[in-house]
Amino acid sequence: MNPSTIRFERATVRYPGSNRNAIEEISFECGGGELVVLLGPSGCGKSTLLRAVNRLVPLDDGHIFVDDNNVSDVDAVELRRGIGYVIQAVGLFAHMTVAQNIAIVPTLLGWDRRTIAARVDELLDLVGLDPATYRNRHPRQLSGGEAQRIGVARAIAARPRALLMDEPFGAVDAIVRTALQRELIRIVGELKTTTLFVTHDVDEAFRLADRIVVLRGGRIEQIAVPEELFERPETGYVRDLVHAGDDVYRRYFLHGRELLRGRLQ
Amino acid sequence: MSYLAAHPLRVAGLAADHLELVALALIAALALALPLGLFAARRARLAPWVLGTLGAIYTIPSLALLAVLVRWLGLGFAPIFVALVVYAQFMLARNVVAGITGVDPAQVDAARGLGMSPSQILMRVEFPQALPVLIGGVRIAAIAMIAIATLGGYVGGVGLGVLIFNGLTLHQSQMIVAGSLAASLLAIAVDAVLRLAERLTREPAGGR
Amino acid sequence: MNFTRARALELIAAAPLLGGCAFDPSAVRVGSKNFTESFVIAEIYAQALERAGMRVERLFNLGSTQIAIAAMQRGNIDCYPEYTGTALIDVLHLAPISDPRKAYAVVAGLFAQHYGIVWLNPSPMNDSQALATTRAVAASKHLATLSDVARAAPHLRLATIQEFLARPDGLPGLQRFYGGFAFREIRTYDIALKYRALLEGKADIASAFSTDGAIAIDQLVILRDDRHFWSAYNVAPVVRKAILDARPQIARVLNAISSAITDRAAQTMNAAVENAQQDPADVAATFLRRE
Repeated sequence: MNPSTIRFERATVRYPGSNRNAIEEISFECGGGELVVLLGPSGCGKSTLLRAVNRLVPLDDGHIFVDDNNVSDVDAVELRRGIGYVIQAVGLFAHMTVAQNIAIVPTLLGWDRRTIAARVDELLDLVGLDPATYRNRHPRQLSGGEAQRIGVARAIAARPRALLMDEPFGAVDAIVRTALQRELIRIVGELKTTTLFVTHDVDEAFRLADRIVVLRGGRIEQIAVPEELFERPETGYVRDLVHAGDDVYRRYFLHGRELLRGRLQ
Repeated sequence: MSYLAAHPLRVAGLAADHLELVALALIAALALALPLGLFAARRARLAPWVLGTLGAIYTIPSLALLAVLVRWLGLGFAPIFVALVVYAQFMLARNVVAGITGVDPAQVDAARGLGMSPSQILMRVEFPQALPVLIGGVRIAAIAMIAIATLGGYVGGVGLGVLIFNGLTLHQSQMIVAGSLAASLLAIAVDAVLRLAERLTREPAGGR
Repeated sequence: MNFTRARALELIAAAPLLGGCAFDPSAVRVGSKNFTESFVIAEIYAQALERAGMRVERLFNLGSTQIAIAAMQRGNIDCYPEYTGTALIDVLHLAPISDPRKAYAVVAGLFAQHYGIVWLNPSPMNDSQALATTRAVAASKHLATLSDVARAAPHLRLATIQEFLARPDGLPGLQRFYGGFAFREIRTYDIALKYRALLEGKADIASAFSTDGAIAIDQLVILRDDRHFWSAYNVAPVVRKAILDARPQIARVLNAISSAITDRAAQTMNAAVENAQQDPADVAATFLRRE
């Protein structure tokens, strides 16, 4: 199974009743299982851009293609079942068990019960939770970190080839966040999923990203691998954002990145 | 008390009729209030208008509404049935709205993003979580309807109201007491049963 | 799904609505007006029909003659006890007729012609309207006849019901026929409470019916209709022609018991309900057992 390619062509979303745009003329392409971080301050349009991919937000202009299919042309429900979706508030279904939550997309797709049960256990293992302990728990019995792990498990249950994550670790404390980031790198390395990850945290961006898309005011400032943002910042905004030229910051960001990945050995 | 003691079967029979009337009216009212409430819940700007209109209707004195209905529908079961359905709308629709809009929006967003159709979101996420509030609304509506249904005795209908209004006409206070007491007991019993149902639906499905 | 089932139940529940009838379409619907005697007689009719094996539904406590007639015409009720005098004056708007047989003939003929309503056999009981007072007031104000009251009215307070002030054979008719009757004060009460006003001294005269139970119990005095203003008021079962044609046994059953209701029986039953606080159903049952 090949990871999806996601292509943006001049994607534009307008704010209703205003001539300002939430996102404007966004064009880039990603795929091959890479983890692309959409980085920017509040209101820069990064969430809007993310949610345009699975059509939670409709485009006003331009196109988005997932595996060469125009997202505006295909059935929205089917599109979303093939793309994983994780949000900051997690949104686990409170009236269902952990197992039922994780199993939701496979259930919608009509998988048989035994396959689903096996997959649930497999996913709990993958996100670092003991299946026997967690299978029948309810969301209210979970800590923030546990809940988000299950949110991720739920998103990838049906083996989507693309994954959308909207500030998924923003609601947990720093210690848990680091653990989750490490888990994510490990998981994304194992799955073949192209991942779009939204954050405003520069630190997080550098830890996780294969490439970073810096957004401001609905427009792309720069797209590059992390090191290049330091070496060749294209705008003053980017330069200030990453403290380009400041060696201490450079070493801090890149060191954090290596640390997270190095620990996996 | 003495009428109750002397005619237990008659009172029980009227109470059964009363309950049947209220139950039928509740079912019909729900069939209307569920789509109405859903409609209002999905449209935040219209919701106050819908609920406000229903609330205004609710303030119409029941006797006045009944008089109008009798002119159109005649006497007996029909006018009191329709009146009950109309009055129940406000309480039921309001709780449908409260229940649906009270569902965690993050869960609805996650459900949408994961690929549930609107009807699947409604049936699998919103409705199960709105159920306790809904049942609460049914409970409140049922209690009110048990009271309003006593007016049925005024328009040749059925139920405990017959006892009350006959007692008024014949000035036999024992009848009035019997009818009122039975209606109160009915309301208490219905309240207890529905509270239990409410509590059961709040409990999580499945165990640890 | 939940919705479809609920809609189906709603339609089932609404079906009686469409038929305009209550739960059971095969039942005979017996109505009554909103006073004790009407309840008792209607209950007698209802139980007689039930004893003959028919299913009966009771729509008692109807607010007035007009409501009862309207209910008959809409088919909401099938029969109820009506008075010849009330029908003559209140419904047909004709002059009162004192002769019971003549009154009956007129109303029976016209009701059949215009309303499709059949008058079954009348009872001997004659519940005509009256004015009542206490023995004390009768003595102190020298009242024995209606003419006496007509003259003395400016010093008298009347307790009555709304219908009496409106119906042509009520106060308006008395004023026209006798002259006078300009009461010092007129207050309307609920039909059940007006005697209490009389007994508590809040009124001097009360409108009444000659078979009211209170008359016997409280020893009230009926003022004599010396100039024969009031019509005969015999009660009879009035039935919708359509249901009578469909079920002629209704006529047989009701005619049989109608002839047994005398003045005396009526007063006794009324007293039993009003004073002894008995259920009209029990009183009617007792009456039927004796017949």
